[in-house]
Amino acid sequence: MDKLMADLKVQIVDQLNLQDLKPEDIGDDQPLFVEGLGLDSIDALELIVLLQQNYKIKISNAEDGPKVFRSVRTMAEYITAHQQQA
Amino acid sequence: MLYIRATGSISPQKTFGQAPFLTDPVEYTGNRLNCIEPDYKEIIDGKLIRRMSRIIKMGVAAAMECLKEAAVTVPDAIVTGTAYGCLQDTEVFLKRIVENKEEMLTPTAFIQSTHNTVGAQIALMLQCHHYNNTFVHRGFSFESALLDGMTLLLENPGTRVLVGGVDEITDTSHAILSRLGLYRQELHSTRELFAGPSKGTVAGEGAAFFLLADNPSETDYARLEGITTFYHPRTIIATEEAISSFLASQQIKTGDIDLIITGRNGDEKNDAGYLSLAASVFSDIPAVNYKDLCGEYPTSTAFALWLAANILKTGRLPAAVKVSGQPPLQSRQTGSGEKPGRGPQRILIYNNYLNRHHSLLLVSAC
Repeated sequence: MDKLMADLKVQIVDQLNLQDLKPEDIGDDQPLFVEGLGLDSIDALELIVLLQQNYKIKISNAEDGPKVFRSVRTMAEYITAHQQQA
Repeated sequence: MLYIRATGSISPQKTFGQAPFLTDPVEYTGNRLNCIEPDYKEIIDGKLIRRMSRIIKMGVAAAMECLKEAAVTVPDAIVTGTAYGCLQDTEVFLKRIVENKEEMLTPTAFIQSTHNTVGAQIALMLQCHHYNNTFVHRGFSFESALLDGMTLLLENPGTRVLVGGVDEITDTSHAILSRLGLYRQELHSTRELFAGPSKGTVAGEGAAFFLLADNPSETDYARLEGITTFYHPRTIIATEEAISSFLASQQIKTGDIDLIITGRNGDEKNDAGYLSLAASVFSDIPAVNYKDLCGEYPTSTAFALWLAANILKTGRLPAAVKVSGQPPLQSRQTGSGEKPGRGPQRILIYNNYLNRHHSLLLVSAC
């Protein structure tokens, strides 16, 4: 899980072009949207693409989006759960 | 009467910010002139800048500089002209379509690739909810934006309109246009661009914005008297007639013009028309060229307008522009606290893009 979260942080910084932010600066439980990292709706779309491209996971239920992308940890947990199901 | 209240320019010359007016011209070798860009982090919020490609940063920075000079927080309209739009984002998006077989496309590149992104980003940054339009008409893109801005002012007196022209050159677009034979194969220096009959020109890019108003102020650059465009004149006679018709509509004669800024680009086929006009309609008028400074691109008239506005405001011709024909009126550089000397009082800009999109702009001193 720790490695997955570390990988996710690198991918988030790269995918969202978060200049001046190092992956290790993102907290495991730091909110990604509104507060914390302050990402917006366009970034949400980018993260959906990130999950599909890197982990072959599609968000089947749109209502799950806010829960899945709340933090790096919740993303990692979702990936782990769905990769096990596959 | 309309006035150019302020300007902002990012170009292959040192034109941004407080840079003195072309006192240190930049000479290029090869056939590509890239913009000299500022540190955008000082101008644009970091949270916004991460999504912006180069052309968006260029356009936003030039617009911000223009508004800062005019001490205007929110203009009443934003009108932009661009022929190619956001090429870099377009290339990223198209490449991803091919690589990912039309699946899992990244939204940011697509969202940022549309031609109206520069105008939109300016509005977002300023929280400007007023009129916002982008014109995409190849070699008429900036002229159309300028005409729209002028019309808006005539219909809405007392307002202030931000008008700009933006285009960029990327590795891909340069390669494609090179294969189409647009650019010079060998060029040792841009100072030699007009040295002799040659095939091809140099690629350029730039972003230039102007704040227009319909009431005069102490700090105006110039008066914007008129503009016209005409498409693909079949003969040089047709071009001469279009020029004569424009001057007649402005109620002036060629003798009333002190300087012509021409869009010669160093390509012998393109320049033949200009040289013919220099011997006929413009025979008694000193002329300067500008595309050795900024290169050839569809919205280069914006740079020409920036150049004209600064010549009129400072009352002098910078050494970077070489005069052909009769010498212009004597001018002297402004000293501190002195009124400008009598430099050119009325300038006609005549440009055409690839011999198809012809435009005439008339500006005069305030």
